[in-house]
Amino acid sequence: MQPNRMLPNRSRTSVLVFLLPPLLLYGAAVLFPILQSLFLSFFSWNGISDMEFVGVDNYVRMFVADDIFWRAFLNALVYLAICLVLQLGGALVVASLLTSLRRGRELIKTLYLLPAVISTVAIAFLFVRIYSLEPVGLLNQLFHWVGLGSLERPWLSDVNTVLAAVSAPEGWRFTGLYMLIIYAALLAVPKELEEAAVLDGASRWTLFTKIRFPYIRPVWITTTIMATTYGLRGFDIPYLMTNGGPGQSSELLTTYMYKTAFTSTDFGYASTISVFIVVECLVAVGLILFLLKRKADA
Amino acid sequence: MKKIFRAAAAAAVTALALTACGGASSTDPSNVSPTGEIKAREISWLLSRPADGAVINIMKKLAEDYAKDHPGFELNLITTPDRPSYIQKLETLAAANKLPELFDTDATPFAQQLAKQGKMMDAEQLLKSLDIYDTYRPGALDYQRFDDGSLYMIPFQFELEFIWYNKALLEKAGVAVPASLDDIPAMCTALRSAGITPIAIDGQDQWPLERYIAYQPFREAGPEFVQELKKGEAKFSDPAGQKTVNWMAELGKAKCFQDGFSAQGYSDAQNQFTSGQAAMYNIGTWELPSLATDKLDPAVRNDIDFFTLPTTAGSATAANEFVSPSGIGMAVNAKTYDPLVSDFLKFALEKYPAEYAATGALSPTTDVETVVPANATPLYQKALDQADGLGSKQAMPWDTQLDPTTNGRLQQELVLLVQGNITPEQFTETMDKTIAQNAPKFFK
Repeated sequence: MQPNRMLPNRSRTSVLVFLLPPLLLYGAAVLFPILQSLFLSFFSWNGISDMEFVGVDNYVRMFVADDIFWRAFLNALVYLAICLVLQLGGALVVASLLTSLRRGRELIKTLYLLPAVISTVAIAFLFVRIYSLEPVGLLNQLFHWVGLGSLERPWLSDVNTVLAAVSAPEGWRFTGLYMLIIYAALLAVPKELEEAAVLDGASRWTLFTKIRFPYIRPVWITTTIMATTYGLRGFDIPYLMTNGGPGQSSELLTTYMYKTAFTSTDFGYASTISVFIVVECLVAVGLILFLLKRKADA
Repeated sequence: MKKIFRAAAAAAVTALALTACGGASSTDPSNVSPTGEIKAREISWLLSRPADGAVINIMKKLAEDYAKDHPGFELNLITTPDRPSYIQKLETLAAANKLPELFDTDATPFAQQLAKQGKMMDAEQLLKSLDIYDTYRPGALDYQRFDDGSLYMIPFQFELEFIWYNKALLEKAGVAVPASLDDIPAMCTALRSAGITPIAIDGQDQWPLERYIAYQPFREAGPEFVQELKKGEAKFSDPAGQKTVNWMAELGKAKCFQDGFSAQGYSDAQNQFTSGQAAMYNIGTWELPSLATDKLDPAVRNDIDFFTLPTTAGSATAANEFVSPSGIGMAVNAKTYDPLVSDFLKFALEKYPAEYAATGALSPTTDVETVVPANATPLYQKALDQADGLGSKQAMPWDTQLDPTTNGRLQQELVLLVQGNITPEQFTETMDKTIAQNAPKFFK
C-alpha cells in the first residue's frame, strides 16, 4: 500500500511521523532485548559475578554438549505439532461445519471462544485436576465409565503421555479464536462461485479443496503463522502444570531457557537459548511462507 | 513468551545497570555497630514466608512499636511465599544491585557468593554485638552457616522434621515402625498389598522427594557427604552415593509414594494423610497446628503419631540427629546497613522470641518456652520435646546445598529414578556428570 493512495491529502512525512512512535516502542520492547540477548550470549555471567567473554562457547555447549537442549527442542516440535493440529485442524473443521449450520451459530461460536478468555493459570489448574489419578480426575473417570479402565493413568506423571497432556490444553484453548478467523474468511467466499461449482457437479469435498480453501488461503497463511509462532513460544501452561517434568519429558525450549536464566542464574547461556528461539521462529515463518506460496503458485 | 521477553529485558537492563554503576560503595560487613545518628526512614524486608504467618505478623507489630518512638520509621514487608519465584526475584535484584535492607535466603552457594562479595553483614558479629548470640540454639545457627562455618543469616524459626504415621493403617498391614531406613521398602510393599498408600508426598514442589535422597548418606557418611558431593569431591558412584541411589530406586519399585505423585501438590499430599488414605507423611513441626490439634479429623486424630528419621546399621549419625532446619534466614544488606537498621534489629530481635513462642512455635532461641495451644493433642508437646534432646549434627536439605543447576537436574532425575523410568546406573552417570560440569563454577 502506498501512503499517498491511502491518505490522499496527507504527505508522506506526516504518515511517517505517526508511524514513528510505535516503531520506537517496538524497537525498545522487542528489538533491543533481542540484540541484548545476542550480546549476552557471548558471555558467562551469573548476575553477580563479573561478565566473562567466552566467545562461541555457549553455542558450542548448546549444540554439542547439552542433552537437555535437544530433548527440549524435540519436545517443542511435538508440542507445536499437537497445538497446530488441534488449533488449525480443529478450527477449520468447526468453521466449515458452522457455515452449513442454519441455527445457533452465534451460541456455538461463543462457546468455542470461551476458553480463550479464561486465564492461563486457571486453565493449568483445571487440567491438573482433569488429568489426576489420585484423587481420580475427570479424564480417568470418563475412561472408567466407558469401560476403558486400562487407559487410566496419571497422565502428568507418565513420561509417555505428559507431553501430549500439556499440549492439549494450549491447543484446546485457542481453537475457538482461530475458528472465528477462519469462519469469517469462509463467509467471504462468494456464494455464486460455490453455486456455479455445485451446478457443475462438484462434490462437497471438491468444493472445499478447489473453491473454498484456495479462497481463504491468505487468511490460512496468517493463522498458520500466528499459531506456529505462538506454539513455538508456548511456555505458561507446561510450566505451570509440570514445570517440565517428570524428568525432562515436558521441558520445552522456553521453559528450559527460563530455568537456565532464573533458577541456574546462567544468564549468558540462557541468552544463547533465547537467540536460538528467535532464529527458530524466523525460520518457521519463512518456511511456512515458502511452502504455502509455492503451493499457491503451483 | 511476553513474560520471557520482559524477563530478558530486565536482564538486559540489569546488565547495563551493572556496567554503569559496578562499584557501588558498601559498608564493611564486620562493622556491626555503626556510629552516628539514627535517622528514621522506611526500610524493606524482602522475604519468603507465609503472608499471614507468625513471623510476619510479629515483625509487623514490632515495627509498629518501634515506629512509636521513631516517627517516620516503617518496615515494608514484601513477601513471595512461593520459593522458586522468590529465589528468582532475589537473584534478579542481586544482579541489579538493588537488594533491600533485609532479605531472606538459605545458605545456598549463591548466598555464599554474595557474602564473599561483602554484600551481607556478618551475622555472628551482629548477634554478638547485640548480646543475644548465646541465646540461640546452636542447631538453629548451624543450619544458617556456610560450610566454612561463617554465619550471615539470622534464623526466625526452629523446626523438626518427622515421619508422621497412622498407627491404625500400619497395624492393618501388619507392619511396625521401621527400625532402620532399610526397612522402609519392605514396609511399603506390605502396605500396598493391604491396599494402603504407603507415603503421601508433595511431588510438585520437588524438595520433599529430595529430602529422601539425603537420608541414607546422612546416616551412612554423616553431614559431610553432601558438602563434598556438591563440590564434586564425593560422587554418587561412591558407596554412600550408591546406597542412596539404590534405596531411592527400591522405594520406587515398592511403590512407596502415591500414584502420580509428581503432579500432586502440598495440600494434596497432606489431605491424603489426614484423611487416613496414606500411612506416612514426612513433614516438619510447622504443620503441628494441622496435625496435632483438634483441627485434625477426629476419625484419625488418635491414630496419628510420628517417628524420627530411622538410623541404619553402623550409622555415622545418631537417632537424635535428623533434619532440624531453622527455616530460611534473614540476611542484612551491608550496603544499606546504618544506625537505624542496627537499632531496629536490636529492638526487634530481643523481643521476637517471646512473641514467637507465644504462637505455639519453637523459637530459634532457648530463652523462651513455647506455649502449647489450648486445642492441642498430646502429640504437640511430644513433638516440641524432641527439640531438647538433639545431637550436634543435622541433616541439611540438599536443595539449599547444591548449585542451582545440579539441584534442578537432581530434582528431575529423582522423579524418573523413583518412577522407574531410568536405572540407578543412568541416574548415577547423569548426576555425576552434571555435578562435574556445574560445581566448579559455583565453588571455585
